[in-house]
Amino acid sequence: MVSTDGTPHVEFTGVSKSYDGRNWVVRDLDLAVQKGEFLTMLGPSGSGKTTCLMMLAGFETPAAGTIHINGVPVGDLPPHKRDIGVVFQNYALFPHMTVGGNLAFPLEVRGMDPSEQQERVARTLRLVRLEGLEDRRPGQLSGGQQQRVAIARALVFDPELVLMDEPLGALDRRLREEMQYEIRRIQRTLGITVVYVTHDQQEAMVMSDRVAVFRGGAIEQVASPEVLYEEPERAFVAHFIGENNRLNGVVRTVGDGVCEVEVGDALIKAVSLGQCPPGAAATVVVRPERVNISLGEGRHSYANEFDADIEDIAFLGDHIRLRLKLCGHSGFIVKIPNVVGHGGVLEGDQIRVGWTALDCRALKPDAADDGEDPSASG
Amino acid sequence: MLARWVYLAFCTAAFVFLVAPILVIVPLSFNAEPYFTFTEGMLRFDPEAYSLRWYRSIFEDGVWTRALVNSLVIGVSATLLATSLGTLAALGLANSAMPARRTVMGLLISPMITPVIIAAVGMFFFYSSLGLAQTHLGIILAHAVLGVPFVVITVTATLSGFDQNLMRAAASLGAGPLRSFWRVQLPLIAPGVASGGLFAFAASFDEVVVVLFMGGLEQRTIPRQMWAGIREQISPTILAVATFLIVFAVLVLFTVEWLRRRGGQAPSGGD
Amino acid sequence: MVDQVIAETGLEASKQQARQRRRAVGLALPLIAFVLASFVAPLGTLLVRSAYDPLVADALPETLTLLRAWDGTSALEEPVYATAARELLQAREERTLGQIATRVNRIKSGLRSVVTRSVRKLRNASGDSWRETMIGIDDAWGEPEVWLAIRSAGERFTLRHYINALDLMRQPDGSIARQPEERRIYLPLLWRTLAISLGISALCLVIGYPIAHLIAHAPPRRANLLLLLVLVPFWTSLLVRTTAWIVLLQTQGVINSLLVAIGLVADDGRIAMIYNMTGTFVAMTHVLLPFMVLPLYSVMRSIPPSHVRAAASLGATPFQAFWRVYWPQTLPGVGAGSLMVFILAIGYYITPALVGGSKGQLISNMIAYHMQTSLNWGLAAALAAILLVGIIALYVLYDRVVGIDRMRLG
Repeated sequence: MVSTDGTPHVEFTGVSKSYDGRNWVVRDLDLAVQKGEFLTMLGPSGSGKTTCLMMLAGFETPAAGTIHINGVPVGDLPPHKRDIGVVFQNYALFPHMTVGGNLAFPLEVRGMDPSEQQERVARTLRLVRLEGLEDRRPGQLSGGQQQRVAIARALVFDPELVLMDEPLGALDRRLREEMQYEIRRIQRTLGITVVYVTHDQQEAMVMSDRVAVFRGGAIEQVASPEVLYEEPERAFVAHFIGENNRLNGVVRTVGDGVCEVEVGDALIKAVSLGQCPPGAAATVVVRPERVNISLGEGRHSYANEFDADIEDIAFLGDHIRLRLKLCGHSGFIVKIPNVVGHGGVLEGDQIRVGWTALDCRALKPDAADDGEDPSASG
Repeated sequence: MLARWVYLAFCTAAFVFLVAPILVIVPLSFNAEPYFTFTEGMLRFDPEAYSLRWYRSIFEDGVWTRALVNSLVIGVSATLLATSLGTLAALGLANSAMPARRTVMGLLISPMITPVIIAAVGMFFFYSSLGLAQTHLGIILAHAVLGVPFVVITVTATLSGFDQNLMRAAASLGAGPLRSFWRVQLPLIAPGVASGGLFAFAASFDEVVVVLFMGGLEQRTIPRQMWAGIREQISPTILAVATFLIVFAVLVLFTVEWLRRRGGQAPSGGD
Repeated sequence: MVDQVIAETGLEASKQQARQRRRAVGLALPLIAFVLASFVAPLGTLLVRSAYDPLVADALPETLTLLRAWDGTSALEEPVYATAARELLQAREERTLGQIATRVNRIKSGLRSVVTRSVRKLRNASGDSWRETMIGIDDAWGEPEVWLAIRSAGERFTLRHYINALDLMRQPDGSIARQPEERRIYLPLLWRTLAISLGISALCLVIGYPIAHLIAHAPPRRANLLLLLVLVPFWTSLLVRTTAWIVLLQTQGVINSLLVAIGLVADDGRIAMIYNMTGTFVAMTHVLLPFMVLPLYSVMRSIPPSHVRAAASLGATPFQAFWRVYWPQTLPGVGAGSLMVFILAIGYYITPALVGGSKGQLISNMIAYHMQTSLNWGLAAALAAILLVGIIALYVLYDRVVGIDRMRLG
């Protein structure tokens, strides 16, 4: 699906942007998107992802750096000459035109003859499964239908590149999940490149070939969803993608790809990325579902094994969620899959938990996030 | 409870005060006698006491038709001028990059606040020196500038509700700035522009002071003619004309409300 | 390096901003130019007119030069008479003599006929001494007053009109003093205009507040209907509404006839309700009431009914709930409406002119009088300029209190 040979479809090189000349919205950003790729820009609001999208669409000009599309710099190209489909946050459908009129608009401004326009509009409406709604006005459609019209309008003139700015933000959860699947299907069917902006990490995981995690105007990590989840390179990414326990400590020894971090009075063995030399502070991250628990005296052979007190138990259907106190840290989360029941654990019980060194990574601490609850954000 | 009754009685009286004067004019315009009050025959609903003679006299007397033509020519020209310039300026004022926005707005709205007598005196001096006094053009320019505030206020308010993403959407679909304006922005703000224009037209259609000071015999408009009618030869003909003007006002009112509703209905997207 | 990028970024940002700014200004510029040319320039002309009058100075330049050298008391010599006679005859040829005479007459009344009559006779006069000829025609030419008046009328720039407009006078020694009480005209009129405008604003508030409240909290259908009762007068021609009040209030009008018919008033005791202050007051309140109701209504509509209910649930009496919770929230509307009515009332012309008679005239009517009847345009311009300054001050106040960009129509 993703062709990695040849020039990238879209390439940001050293792109910076500031609206007032003092504060950076985007700072020295490099990013390449391959042809046919579904790339998601993910990040909290104000992280610069929408600004990047708007620069790519041509609505904003980079202060420094260049953006190439198909190897051609597009600095001076106005938006209406870029041939990029854009789906806007609130759809931006033209309320005074019918659905058909909205879809025909880009064909009309390109001087296509009316019969071909009609044929294209009908074909695109079939693609988004809205046959027969040509004559409705956007105001007469449901939110989900408006969403499909917006997508259809961005596709009808056959752009190779489509940008989507939080297109599902206004829909309820059920519809959102359906549309995630739809957008992915359409993207695969047409083989187009999609650059997608969202702050919803689950949406990013579901849809994307690769995800670029934005923060403070820069990219923390770009990788496939699996890699981001399993092998985060930054404490922020580990924290932002999925749920993670974070334990702050000091590196004691660094060995062959593994290091030992002193957290409270315990020593945790973790994968080392070479970010933290001995004596440096480190954040140890471990996924709640990778932690095993045992109730009895039976010993496991995990690299990391500790006693913990149960602070709270929550039953969540597909799993049980324990809140533990461990190594002096409160709020350590463990998820037990609901296959065997919760084994009779009770609040206040002491249990033994363990995980392997490979399930646990020592990362450079995230300066901005120090005081935060390690299990916050989902 | 008593307080409630007092409140409702007071409000009723206030509404009567607002509307009664206007309603009284209509039946009196059908008076068969040249009086400004109800005759006994009218109160008995005697058909003899009512007549259309004052309406006939409007059309028999060429002054009123000439006045109507003048009012329309001046009103329409002034409205077109005020609406086109006012809409452009409102587009500029809606841009956040506009410098000295408040001052400019203050300048453009000032013709509405300035007493017309002051404006009329100043215009008389100034337009006379340019040879524009006692010409249609002079009155048109004056009425246009008096209509400008209505257009600016209305269109600026409409633009503040306009979703700028629609213009970005149009650009992303391949439309250049001019085409985006004609095909997307203008149709959507059209109701606001139209009601601003209607305000400007109504203002010109009812303006008498400037015409009094600057107009000659050739520029007699309907309000100027009414002024003369009230001051000089009082005849119920002006009640008949007034009835027409009331009908006109009601039509304008309903059109403006209709436009307001149309403008307000335009959905800006999926929210 | 980073500093440089920041500097470049600032440059780029300001370049983009400059482009945007040019575009915005470019759109607004035609209208700004139009308003400056067809509205501000006339107001400027008005200000110039109020303090600048070159007519006499242009017509009698040499005479004035000689007069300026004169001490103002001693008897004048023959050259002054000769020059004056020549220039006055010239002015008569150019048909400006009447205007000159009017201006001189305004300095000292009674001189118009002296000037015009003398010059008419001078035409046929011949003699060695213009001095004797002129004094022969009219003794006044031997007195300094005529010449002082001509010298005074010959000033190009003058505060004379403002002195008049403020009921002041220049005393023989040149100092400025107030007019004696019985000769003050304009300041009392100005105060009366302000007082009436204040009274009308107050009356509009008293009438407008309850009905705005009723409309704002009525069910939608009824609210629309009631709003119509405010909007129909709002849109109806001012002249029609004024005519309506004439029809209702005049001595042979509807209300008087009604009162006679039901026997409250004798046929020969009909009440004078119009062509006096009452007429101005009633008709202007009617005309301006919608300008009070509409801003009040839009403010009141945004006040949730739950506020007053909350106050009641906390133990407030209906009056306390209104006074402590509701009224303070309506103050922006009260300010906007009252100021607007006040501003419009101060400059009102048409309604007082038609229904005010001689007692119900406002400052605007005086301006019109000097424009159209007395033809003292300089004084009219000075009065207009004083009124304009007042209006501008109120406009600035309105901007501070309400904000002109929040002004809405209808």
